[in-house]
Parts: sequence; C-alpha cells; structure tokens
Amino acid sequence: MSATEIVFYCIAFFMIVSGLGVVLARNIVHSALALILALGAVAGVYVILTVEFLALTQLVVYGGAVIMLVLFALMLTRARERPQALFGKNRPIAFVIAAGLLTAFVAGIVASEWATTNPDDIEPLPFQEIGDVLFSAWAVPFEVISVVLVIAMAGAILLSQPDQGEQ
Amino acid sequence: MPEIVLSEFAGLGLPDWIDALIRIVFIVALMTVNALALIYLERKILARFHQRVGPTRTGPFGMLQSAADALKLLTKEDVRPTSADRWVFELAPYFAFVPIFLVFIPIPWTETWIVRDLELGFLYVFGVLGLNLVGVVMAGWGSDNKYALLGAVRAAAQAISYELPMLLVSVGVILVVAARLTVDGGSAFGAVNLNVIALEQTTTPFILLQPLGFAIFMIGALAELHRPPFDMPIAESEVVGGYFVEYSGIRWSFFFLAEYTALLLLVVIGSTVFLGGWNFPFGEDVGLGLQVLLTIAKTSAVIFILFWSRAVLPRLRIDQLMAFSWKVLLPFSILQVLANAIILAYGGGEWIIGLTSLALLLLLIGLVYGRVRVLSRGAGRSLNKQPARPRLITAHDLAGGD
Repeated sequence: MSATEIVFYCIAFFMIVSGLGVVLARNIVHSALALILALGAVAGVYVILTVEFLALTQLVVYGGAVIMLVLFALMLTRARERPQALFGKNRPIAFVIAAGLLTAFVAGIVASEWATTNPDDIEPLPFQEIGDVLFSAWAVPFEVISVVLVIAMAGAILLSQPDQGEQ
Repeated sequence: MPEIVLSEFAGLGLPDWIDALIRIVFIVALMTVNALALIYLERKILARFHQRVGPTRTGPFGMLQSAADALKLLTKEDVRPTSADRWVFELAPYFAFVPIFLVFIPIPWTETWIVRDLELGFLYVFGVLGLNLVGVVMAGWGSDNKYALLGAVRAAAQAISYELPMLLVSVGVILVVAARLTVDGGSAFGAVNLNVIALEQTTTPFILLQPLGFAIFMIGALAELHRPPFDMPIAESEVVGGYFVEYSGIRWSFFFLAEYTALLLLVVIGSTVFLGGWNFPFGEDVGLGLQVLLTIAKTSAVIFILFWSRAVLPRLRIDQLMAFSWKVLLPFSILQVLANAIILAYGGGEWIIGLTSLALLLLLIGLVYGRVRVLSRGAGRSLNKQPARPRLITAHDLAGGD
C-alpha cells in the first residue's frame, strides 16, 4: 500500500465518520459543523486526485456556505429550545429511498469503466483548462447556478422574517 | 498538477520531514514573537496617540509586558460555563487558530523564503483564511451567551461582506498580471501565485496601477480583522467582549494569537500584492537579507497605519458598516474589475488602468467625504433646533462660568 493510499483511507474514514455525524447529530448546529469536516475531507480527496483548484474552490465555497447554514439554522429553527427527534414517522420511506440511492451509487461505481485504478497514473488537470471550459462551453449553466443560489438565499431570508403585514 | 517548487531550506540537503519540521517550528516561533511584539507596539503606539506612556514597568521600556501577560494567561484557570455546548466550546479556539496557521504556507517573505510556493497561492489564502470564521461562529454559538452569539453573527456578516470587495479588487491585480504573462502568447498560468505577483512589480508596485484596489483591500482587511473602526464583533460597549466573552486563560489567548497573526498575514499579503513585497524597489538581484528587510519595512509601515486608524477613527454602527460594504465598496470594486478587463481586452496601456483606478478612488473619497459632511451638518442642525430648556441658575453661573 502506497503512502497515497494510506492517506486516502485516513481521509475516507474521517469523511464517513463526519458524514455520520451530519445525519445522526440531534442538534442541527452540530450537523452543520460536522458537514464542514466532511466537505473538508472531500477537498482532501481532490488534493490526492491532483486537482488543487477544485479542492480550494471547495473550501472557499463551502467554508462560507456552512457558516451561512449555521446562521440559517439559528434563524429558522429553535435548535436550542427543543431537542430534535432523530426519527420521524416517515422512517420506512426514508429507508427505502436511502437504500435505493446507495444501491444506485454502488452499482454505478462498480459498473463504470475507470480510466485507471492505479493512483500513480492519475493525469494532472491544469486548472486554466477548467477556466477555459467554464467560461466558454459551460458559461450559461455557470450563470444559472448563481441565480439559483441567490433565489435560495432570498427565500431563506423571506422565511425567517416575521410577517410584516400583521403588525 | 501545477508544478510545486519546493524551495530548499538554506541549501542544505535535509530529508523532507526534517525540512518540514524546521519550517513548522520557524512559523510557530514567528507567530508567537509576532503576537507578543505587536501587542506591545500597539499599546505603546496607542499610548503616544493618547498622550500616555503605555507599559513601562516590566523590563526596559516595558518591553516584557506582553510576555508577562502571556505567562499570566497560561496559568489562569480555564473556565467553561456549565450551559455551554462542551465540544463546540472547547474546540472553537483551534478552529479559529489552525486555518490562520495554515495561511503561512504560500507567503513569500523573500524570493525563495516560502514555506511552499503554491501556484494557486492567492486562492489558497482566501480559501483557508475564511475557515477561521467557523471557529468564531462555534465560539459564539457554543458559549450559550447572547452577547457571544451576537458577536459571532456580527463577525460572520462582516467577514462575508468584506471578503467580496477584497477578492474583487485582488482580481483586478490578477488581471493585470495575467495580461502581462500572456503578452508574448504565453499562458496566464501563475497569475494567482503570490510570488509571481511580487515578481511582476520590479519597477512599479501595483498600488500605482490600482490605488483604489489597495484602499479597498486595506479597508476590507480592517473589517476582516475586527479592528477599529470596524470592531463591532468585539465591541466592549455593545456586545461586552464579543464571541470570546466566555473564554479565559489559554483558550482566550488562542483567539488573540489568531487575531494578531491574521493581522500580520493580511498585511503581508496586502504589501506583497500592492506594494511590491520583497521586490520593489531593489529587484531580484538584491541579497536575501535586504529582501527580508524590505518585507518587514513595508509590513511595519502598513501595520502602523492600521494602529493609527484605530487611535483616530470612531467606531461605525453595524448597519453603517454593512451598507458601506454592499452599497459602496462592492460596486466600486466591480467597476474596477470591469474597467481593468475592458481596458486590457482592447489593448489599452497600463497607465490608463492606473488613471481609471485613481479616478475611481477620488470618486470614492469624494462620496464618503460628502456623505460625512451631510451627516455631520444634519446632526449639528438637529442639536441647534432643540428648544432651550429652562434650568436653575447655579452658583457656578453666578461666579461667571460658561
């Protein structure tokens, strides 16, 4: 086992533990904080895959995003006042969907034809190529995503504001 | 993958892990000494502005005062409120501190004295520095204290608002660097490398091409660092001590160490990007010693200006602060980026960029000055309009007082 693989398994273990923390934590702020660890671990995987640009973008975007998430959690829920129930009455449906997704992911991974399975063969991707493609071929989707994010943010602010008409 | 140049430590053929260890020890020592020195200097400089003498008792000229304070903090009891969220509260100082420690990696102190010369250095700095906010929000929320939470929310709002103009004006500089790198049909690769940015400033520092950029960068740095006049997250008169109000002893000192280290880092980055870093005005051929001195001199000058602004400027209100970022600085920085991009795309000379930036800066100063004039005049008038209230004639009045 090469050093890269050892690092990968450490990161993967960390990612799974913090991912479990996201779904199992009773407190919504704890979930959000575990999420940043999980996303940081994903950035670590990107570094192993030699796409540093993606790793840093991950940190820039999700670092700020998780802060916003914590703030929204504080604004939209009363996390401190009542303990959150971990399981609801939709538990069987959620189980079916989760199991289906897991099967689909595993099947997809197994069925895919990977270019290489040897970590040493990974071809470095120059980040300026990402920029070229992002701002030429994929410019419209790129812009649409930013609009979606703005709408989501405006919606959250609207929901967290008290009704003004009643006052 | 961008080729990472591992600058060799003093030319010794050491194994990688010893090399890494030396760098880590060096950075940790630098952080500690920097925080102790900056706290002492800040107190002394502020004292001069206030016509006091500042610390004088401990050591010659009171120079050991911060060391004594540090010792006191280390031996202090570490108190945790019973209602605090235990893990979040205890881990928060590390989350606030570690990202700032990591930002040291791509900083070019001289041409070759870099922990690691990252090709994406600039992006790395802002990506990692932003994570420090997680620690701040953790501290504010985990303390279970309304003032701490208010301070943390203020810090988050402030940092998110001021990061945008800071990044945008830096994009303006990166555009100029990229244009220079591609002028002979080369690739723009390396334009986000802090060392390459410094390397491009042998004859003209970018403050001459982007004076507006430098101004906005420094204003943003003040806000990111929670320094007066933008210290609302830790304003004593409003939120007691802000997000670290419940901390004591060593955990509290972690936050302070983080703040002063971030101060050094943002100023070094600002002087590398806008003031020519180690390069201007002596160029690459000068010995490493002089390059270090240049970095230190520029950094100290900017830090002095930050201390100075703390002494003379009053604190803003939180809504004024947010409005200033979103309604004034952000439009100006977007204008700057657009102007740079258009001028460079149509092959305009760099002096045109400098002139547009200067014009924008003058417009910004004019706007702010005009607004302050209007506000202060309005305030004066409303004071004058207050009806004269009858009052008792006192012995003081009879004695001919005012």
